[in-house]
Amino acid sequence: MRHGKYPFIIGFLAVPVALYATFVVAAYIQTFQLSVASWSGFGPIKYVGFDNFVKLWNDDLFWKSLRHNGYLLLLLPIVTIALGLLFAFLLNVGGGSKGGMTRGVWGSKVYRVIFFFPQLMALAIVAVIFGRVFASDKSGMINGLLPDSWAPWLFLADERWALTCILVVLVWQAVGFYVVLFSAGMGSIEHEIYEAAALDGATRVTLFFRITLPLLWGTIQTAWVYLGIAAFDAFALINIMTVDRGGPDGATSVLAMMIYRNTFEYSQVGYASALGVVLFFLTLTFAALTLRVTRRDAV
Amino acid sequence: MARHDDGVITVGRSRTGTFFANATGIVFGLIMIFPVYWVLNTAFKPDSEVRSFTPTFWPHDFTLDNFKSALGEELFIPSMINGLIITAMAVAAALVVGFLAALAIARFSFYGRKAIILVVLAVQLVPFLALLIPLFLMLQSANLTNSLVGVALVYLVLLLPYTVWTLRGFISGIPRELDEAAMIDGCTRAQVFWRIILPLTGPGLVATSVYGFIQAWNEFIIINTLNDPKNQNLMAWLLYNQTERGTAWGPLMAGAIITSIPVVVFFLLIQRNIATGLTAGAVKG
Repeated sequence: MRHGKYPFIIGFLAVPVALYATFVVAAYIQTFQLSVASWSGFGPIKYVGFDNFVKLWNDDLFWKSLRHNGYLLLLLPIVTIALGLLFAFLLNVGGGSKGGMTRGVWGSKVYRVIFFFPQLMALAIVAVIFGRVFASDKSGMINGLLPDSWAPWLFLADERWALTCILVVLVWQAVGFYVVLFSAGMGSIEHEIYEAAALDGATRVTLFFRITLPLLWGTIQTAWVYLGIAAFDAFALINIMTVDRGGPDGATSVLAMMIYRNTFEYSQVGYASALGVVLFFLTLTFAALTLRVTRRDAV
Repeated sequence: MARHDDGVITVGRSRTGTFFANATGIVFGLIMIFPVYWVLNTAFKPDSEVRSFTPTFWPHDFTLDNFKSALGEELFIPSMINGLIITAMAVAAALVVGFLAALAIARFSFYGRKAIILVVLAVQLVPFLALLIPLFLMLQSANLTNSLVGVALVYLVLLLPYTVWTLRGFISGIPRELDEAAMIDGCTRAQVFWRIILPLTGPGLVATSVYGFIQAWNEFIIINTLNDPKNQNLMAWLLYNQTERGTAWGPLMAGAIITSIPVVVFFLLIQRNIATGLTAGAVKG
């Protein structure tokens, strides 16, 4: 029965492997090649050895961007998972019990849809909306609601708070998906377990930490990986929302933002490629670490 | 600990606790919905009301002018059609290629299988932006910049990892005994894939096509880099119009609503399946 499996394997994998070989592997080889060159995108390529990397090492904006990458990589998963768990718990078992049945809070079905809405909205639209929310004059949604006597908050124009604003938008958009994800996980936990614990006098907090959290651990790890990827992708939002693309004064710059600007604004393709190489190794490190920590046995 | 009043048994939890849980739900529900509501509110207001410094929480003069002017905007309709074509091509191709690849990985053991899985995973993690320069050069030499096919190809590569990974989870969940039983009854291997595994992977195909649709429809950086204004999708159009005519909030919000409609409709159609579809593949690993 096992004979003739190779025609299937080769037939099924030929297209994806060819696509990866050209669009990903070959493209990366070229990025590595360009990272040791000085090139404006046109004309001859001049190879300059490790000059680009030396320049990187001495570039303050690079270190600043790296810190911002780390900030998002750490805080986006933590905040989103915490909020996602809280809402999922409220929706599923937070509403007290009636007739011996634990229930979600009032209106849980409506929340499920509401929470998913931001996930459906394109980043471009989210950026436009939050541009209005965070507008730094009285026409802004938040500033409009503040008392007239207060000086308007600057939000994205304030060096200290700009990156936090980006984090808020990312969390706002992501949290709905994780509420649904965790809700599905919680739905598969036997109700009897909660009932039994509740009969023994467990409070909501105890139920959450002693039952829900341990039983959902696998799902939480999956969420961590997805959110890590999302954190690396934050560039798209930063590109369209922030003052001066990554500003003010580099306050929201991330590595991907630097790559984009160096390629398309400063025509420093070599330098951008060197940044691409750094980003490559950073993401691989992140991937290796998460794979090790989550240890997906089925691979 | 158990209290009995009007037939309600409240076990180990206080009424105040329930109140706070409900209140938290309402507050956060409002925060989540507010920006969406504000878009709708702005889209139906006349320009004078949008610009007014005293915000109105309901349009006083309800108008559809914003939608008319967005639809009448140069390149709006072409951008929408471009977006639909690119998305349809990328999603359809991702489903076919992804399903076959997932079959190979889930149902056969062969040399290099683990390597393929790891590469697929790693690619999903690496930011695509780092590849934008070589991709541009590559597509340029193949005469595929400024074309819908070129963009669809790049999107296909972007969608494949998630598609393969999710479908693999679904296929692994189908017991091998089913395959074997069918083969004993005289099915060929190809018939097993077509008649048994494909129908049983249905929810997975739905979930991945939703994901693919949302990703491809909403993407704007790649298309913006590769194509001229005439070959953009709606997202790129939206951003271009925001920067070009930054203050016309009414039409912009109306445009945003129209842009979101396909995704919302798609979501409402398959809403029942989405939780199981998205999670089943993700958790099974």
